Amino acid sequence: MIRFDSVNKYFGNFHVLKNINLEINKGEVVVVIGPSGSGKSTLLRCINRLETITDGELTVNDLKVNDKKTDINQLRRNIGMVFQHFHLYPHKTVLENITTAPIKVLKQSKEEAEKVARSYLEKVGIPEKANSYPAQLSGGQQQRVAIARGLAMKPEIILFDEPTSALDPEMIGEVLDVMKALAKEGMTMVVVTHEMGFAREVADRIIFMDQGQILEQGKPADFYANPKEERARLFLSRILNH
Amino acid sequence: MDIAGALSFDHLKFLAAGFKVTLYIAFISIILSFIIGVVFGTLRYAKIPFLSKVVAVIVETIRNLPLLLIIFFTYFALPEVGLKLSPSTAAIAALTVFESAMLAEIVRSGLNSIDKGQKEAARSSGLTYIQTLWTVVMPQALRRMVPPIVSQFISLLKDTSLCVVIALPEFMHNAQIIYAQNINYIFPIFAVVVFMYFIVNYCLSLIARRLENRQA
Ligand SMILES: Nc1ncnc2c1ncn2[C@@H]1O[C@H](COP(=O)(O)OP(=O)(O)O)[C@@H](O)[C@H]1O
Ligand SMILES: [Mg+2]
Repeated sequence: MIRFDSVNKYFGNFHVLKNINLEINKGEVVVVIGPSGSGKSTLLRCINRLETITDGELTVNDLKVNDKKTDINQLRRNIGMVFQHFHLYPHKTVLENITTAPIKVLKQSKEEAEKVARSYLEKVGIPEKANSYPAQLSGGQQQRVAIARGLAMKPEIILFDEPTSALDPEMIGEVLDVMKALAKEGMTMVVVTHEMGFAREVADRIIFMDQGQILEQGKPADFYANPKEERARLFLSRILNH
Repeated sequence: MDIAGALSFDHLKFLAAGFKVTLYIAFISIILSFIIGVVFGTLRYAKIPFLSKVVAVIVETIRNLPLLLIIFFTYFALPEVGLKLSPSTAAIAALTVFESAMLAEIVRSGLNSIDKGQKEAARSSGLTYIQTLWTVVMPQALRRMVPPIVSQFISLLKDTSLCVVIALPEFMHNAQIIYAQNINYIFPIFAVVVFMYFIVNYCLSLIARRLENRQA
């Protein structure tokens, strides 16, 4: 479904992604880990072309992401994205946050979009917040709204970039629970996160990145128990020790 | 000082006529420069190849000219190339050109002040660039721009008095005519002038504060 073929990316002279080869299948849940600055966000952001690759080939559903002929907005409506800092629209209510893209992009009627939005708010556990503004919600609630906003477009893929890193510890669980439910429903997910519990429970595969390269991949049970690469071992010991 | 003489009925009527011209010229210029300023500021923000550069050069040039020069230009230089404008049209043209450039810069920096994540969230949900600008970035930016835009409108209102140099019959112009007749009129007339400018500009500030509080 998502395919990286010898992908390289540079920021100026800085080689941020080095010869990435990666295939992610429909329904797969892939967790990406690695030290800060290793290129995890960049890898994720290339998938929906928030960043453009320098060379190689990247396809989603056999469509070349960076081809001029590819309708990028068409591609993006099929790929949800959830950010570390939520990026909810502060001037819109929760309901408006969720319905903006379905109305503008999918041309749903307002009534239809609101009905869908309410059902997803139900799903993420905060139906009573429909008319609140983002600033009136806790971090965990905001992130759940952001997930509902992504889901409302009924995408086949959702990308998560450290969705719980900006949250107070007591709110991490509520967001992870929503993500776990999605994973179990068969959503294709690429998740940058260091939450090992989540990875162990629902990930099909762990990808370890370091300095722009995919150093190691494996099933979560194998990877966490017995990482092969020295750098992966070092990294795991560091995140385990705090 | 001759308060009664200075503030005779005829004088007050003459001042009021001038004030009406000031308000009229300022109002039209505010509307026009707001529209042009938003368009130019957005074009500059959007980094469209070539076009944004052209707009940048125009805006920066105008911003760095004295307004008085632009007023002189529209009234005295344009007739040389066959474009003769009445004092009020010349005044509106000059003020609009100048204030549009100032507002374009306010609009551009307002748009730039919006977190990049907002644009990324909107674009990644499939919204086009224009839809993103219109429904996500611009509404947030406009709220943030209210205070600088209103202070720009206040200076515009005051700057209409520069049009005295092209004999536009605005407020300052008419005030001058009155106190030129009699030195004892100067203080009372000035008091009226100060009072009127203050009232209008103070009202504008109040409106600005209201708009600001509403978004908080
Ligand atoms: N827009 C950019 N311009 C230049 N360098 C960037 C840009 N975005 C990220 N980088 C650099 O690329 C590297 C990888 O960044 P990122 O993908 O965000 O890493 P991670 O998400 O793993 O922490 C970092 O060194 C970062 O400083
Ligand atoms: Mg990152």
